[in-house]
Amino acid sequence: MSAGGILILMGILFLGFGYMGVPVSFALMAGVFVATAFTPVSLQSMVGQLFHGIDSETLLAVPFFLLVGELMASSDVVHRMIRLSQTLVGHLRGGLAQVVTLFSMFFAGISGSSVADVAVLTRTVAPEMDKEGYDRAFTAALIACASTMANLIPPSIMAVVYGATGNVSIGGLFLAGVVPGVLIGIGLMVYSYFWGPVGVMKPRAKFIDVAVAARGAALPLIIPVIIMGGILTGWFTPTEAGMIAAVYILIVLIPVLRPTHVKELPRDFMYAGLLYSLPLAAVAGASAFGWMVAYLRGPDIVADYITSFAGTDGRIIMLLLVALFVIVGDFIDAVPAIIIFMPIILKLTEVGHINPLHMGVVIITTLVFGLITPPYGLSLLVASKYVGVGFGKALVRSFPLYIVFFLTIGFCVFFPDVVLWLPKMLLPESVGCFKSPTGVGYICPP
Amino acid sequence: MADFRALILQRHRHLKWKAFDWLEAVLMVLSGVCIFMFTLTVFCDVVTRTLGAPWLWLQQVTTAFFAWGVFIGMAAATRRNDHFYLTEITKRMTGAPRSAIEIANRVVVLIVSVLLIWFGWKNALLDLGSYRMPSLLPLTVYTAIVPAAGVLILLFTIEQLVNGWRHGFEGPEDRDDLPQFVVEEIAK
Repeated sequence: MSAGGILILMGILFLGFGYMGVPVSFALMAGVFVATAFTPVSLQSMVGQLFHGIDSETLLAVPFFLLVGELMASSDVVHRMIRLSQTLVGHLRGGLAQVVTLFSMFFAGISGSSVADVAVLTRTVAPEMDKEGYDRAFTAALIACASTMANLIPPSIMAVVYGATGNVSIGGLFLAGVVPGVLIGIGLMVYSYFWGPVGVMKPRAKFIDVAVAARGAALPLIIPVIIMGGILTGWFTPTEAGMIAAVYILIVLIPVLRPTHVKELPRDFMYAGLLYSLPLAAVAGASAFGWMVAYLRGPDIVADYITSFAGTDGRIIMLLLVALFVIVGDFIDAVPAIIIFMPIILKLTEVGHINPLHMGVVIITTLVFGLITPPYGLSLLVASKYVGVGFGKALVRSFPLYIVFFLTIGFCVFFPDVVLWLPKMLLPESVGCFKSPTGVGYICPP
Repeated sequence: MADFRALILQRHRHLKWKAFDWLEAVLMVLSGVCIFMFTLTVFCDVVTRTLGAPWLWLQQVTTAFFAWGVFIGMAAATRRNDHFYLTEITKRMTGAPRSAIEIANRVVVLIVSVLLIWFGWKNALLDLGSYRMPSLLPLTVYTAIVPAAGVLILLFTIEQLVNGWRHGFEGPEDRDDLPQFVVEEIAK
């Protein structure tokens, strides 16, 4: 069988098994094992590849950021951040909708998990929105869309996985994710203001109320400072920054703000232990899958196909990849998608002379969009389930919000200088700059 | 709705033997121990490095707990039906078609687990001759978890196959797993 035929067979088997209901990690492994039988590669080395796929210290950041999100959500200290959001934007038109978006931006700076964000918001703000007469479908759509920022604003689990598998600076990806994250946040706030439900109009909070709320939320809001401060100063790697954030929550936040939760901590650890194994089991399967894709020269096949349309024009290559990943993100979870397609992404980054960091941000922003599109829109599925509204209704209400995502992705593709400005300023090496031989400043690629 | 944080998940109870409940509980505890231990070892790594006396072996202990945690969690998730799924289309089905697809799905998992056991075992034996520096720990210490997880996955898959065959795969909790619109459709 030809290499192309084996690749197609492997893809069909994975999707076929997956949509039949086989867990993603096992569907990936089954597809790879069958494909291996048509190649000279031994099954023993493919089973070894499963282990090597997760044997990476960088991937350790994933459980830490999940643990941070889990500890924050289960200890329920986030209501202080909700109160701060209310005092800042609660008086605007569609006040609680604005609160959802602003809170998600704050929470995104703490947790790298969209589902944790959805869980917190559906438990806290959604019932309030219900009382104020917000359409439940809109509530679910907005919560799901806002939760996607958790994967853009640092720390982001997708950025960790992308950086670890694509050999791209994770700190750089964190910083570059700020622009699309904030753009989505602003877009959702603008939409809620002009076209969302009005809600109950409230008076603007007094300065003293804002100050009190800010004081109350100060301890949780130190977490993003710890994470990004540690990475930017070079004190910690992203993995260590995640651990320090978790330790800070365990030693400072919970004992000070919610001491009664201490006895629940063993349960939090057990659940977080289970939670982190799920994406990483998929990573194990996907790394073997990605290895086989590379072995069968899949990147060359796809790159030839894409360059036959786009030539070596980086922007057109990116737009074609965006189209590909909008489709891929509809059907496959982002983490395995990144790993499976990484050899192809790397090849096209090289062909189009694209900055790897720029490509990473565009791909992550596109995959984030997959969290709210059917049939595998995980955030929208979870939000509609917990808000208590039909998935179909929530989907219809999220269609206008898709525009925010399209505009953001387009912005990221066409304005790399803006997207890469923050990493260029704070972490110049991450965008390929190197120290000037004169010792003053950096020399950066055009 | 089931308590997803419970030590022994009561969801899909009809697919479980009580005799294996202790195993699920042990795996959950081990998952917690693994994440706690590698949090501790990374913490100690940062502290010892900052003090100027780094313990180099800590990183190896960290990766061991990390990898074990992934495969232990993978086995626990198999019993709890907690893995990531592309779709849960079978939950909308009933009767013979449902049973046929559920059995086919588990046969796929069964075959994968057998391959994990057999080739994972061969890899583990091979790794007895490879060592990690500087602790000189055989690589088997890390990779032996692959066949061990394979055995557990095989065991839990057989448990589900036998119980599903005897009692059917459908359960009242299927509704919890569904998007609300399907629940509403069923309620009509």
